[in-house]
Amino acid sequence: MGVRIELDDICVSLGGQPVLDRVSFVIEPGEFIGIIGPNGAGKSTLLRVILGSIQPDSGRVKITAVDGSPAPRRAIGYMPQTRLIDPELPISAADFVGFGLPHRYRPWLNRADRGQVGELLGLVGAAHLAGKPIGRLSGGERQRVCLAQTLAGDPEALLLDEPTASLDPAMQEQIADLVSGICREKAINVLFISHDVELVGKHADRMLYMGEGEYSLNVHRSRRLLGGT
Amino acid sequence: MLSYPFMQHAFLAGTLVAAMCGIIGVFVIARSLSFIAHTFSHIGFAGASFSVLVGWNPFAGLLLFTGLSALAIGRLGVRVFRRDASISVVLSLFLGLGILFLSLANKQSGFVSSILFGSVVGISGADVVRMVVLSLAVLLLLIPGYRMLTFDSFDPAGAEAAGLPIRLLSIGFLLLLAIAVSEAMQIVGALLVFTLLTIPAASARCLTNSVLRMLLYSAALAILGVWVGLTLGYYTNWPVSFFITAFESLVYFLSLRFTR
Repeated sequence: MGVRIELDDICVSLGGQPVLDRVSFVIEPGEFIGIIGPNGAGKSTLLRVILGSIQPDSGRVKITAVDGSPAPRRAIGYMPQTRLIDPELPISAADFVGFGLPHRYRPWLNRADRGQVGELLGLVGAAHLAGKPIGRLSGGERQRVCLAQTLAGDPEALLLDEPTASLDPAMQEQIADLVSGICREKAINVLFISHDVELVGKHADRMLYMGEGEYSLNVHRSRRLLGGT
Repeated sequence: MLSYPFMQHAFLAGTLVAAMCGIIGVFVIARSLSFIAHTFSHIGFAGASFSVLVGWNPFAGLLLFTGLSALAIGRLGVRVFRRDASISVVLSLFLGLGILFLSLANKQSGFVSSILFGSVVGISGADVVRMVVLSLAVLLLLIPGYRMLTFDSFDPAGAEAAGLPIRLLSIGFLLLLAIAVSEAMQIVGALLVFTLLTIPAASARCLTNSVLRMLLYSAALAILGVWVGLTLGYYTNWPVSFFITAFESLVYFLSLRFTR
């Protein structure tokens, strides 16, 4: 499924400095977009503009479902770059994932909710971590659990802001493989920020290169949507 | 002991306030707001003193001052008030104001003592009704907000990413905390509000990694502390607040040994 994300002439300035300058592109449903660029190029800002947490100075963002209707905010799942988790935080991984379930007012988790949490932990290869405190998990384990929490909202698009930062190379590969697998299995969009072209390039349908005041969205590897190899 | 109306009032009010503080305390610890809770108690002291000066019920001033502070902190953002300097300035200012109001009101030291150290055995029937209503209101308000508040307290970055109304949650929680502090001050006094709002929750955090069990353990430990304090206070004539703090501290150090 996924969503269609259309950015039209987006300009954003932060603290008087232009960060995004007339950015326009379209991402089709189910596409995996790798986003590469130096620090300060506006990668995180771009994700926040798509998410709606930063309003652009000009231009517009249009997110629509496959049937053309406007997609709700909950259709977008976002994993922020910085997530300080206290090593002493005594919350089990299952509870942590449960936070992300879409219902907001019912205080308890019913059997279906608990089943969904179990399935999500299984999907990210973290079923064995369900009862462990989130604060005691390794970096890679935490990222898996955070990804499961984001998926708990049943998003149509995943915005991942450097999900492999500060992980060792083997773990980076595992997380990228995992995200790619989920993107294909659930047919949802993924926008994946990384500093490692090789890592994200293996999975991305297209790569968005961002520099200071410039950007380019290239066809990196043709696949399903683009009808190539 | 329970044949005396003043002890019945103390047990009834103490139990409900302890349950409320135990539950609110879990979120206070998770949101690192311990010192804001302490600051509220000093602001409340100034509020109660102001009430005396203008001839109101002290609780009205307590609620007014802490409630307005909650709104102000909510608007400015709690980060400003996590700074040591900010807390020191606000604590000092309101303690000074409290002393000024009392001086202008020419009030006896007995009032100061009851506000600073609590007066759980001096609670009237009307006080009990007010405490029951307010405690139940706080607990009922927490039910629909529980999931969002839990998410925002234990994983603020995740809650913001999920699009939760985090500013509204912050202000709402600070208002509930203001009510909890105002009520707890009657039991343990301004100087020991920390006791019921942080220690049971900190102990519960050592004992479980389930949020729901944390709330239950924290409430149970707070209630137990009040019961132990009232009972020992009655038989020894020593201050109830001392026994409550001693019990809660003992439980905390014991629970550190069982940290999961």
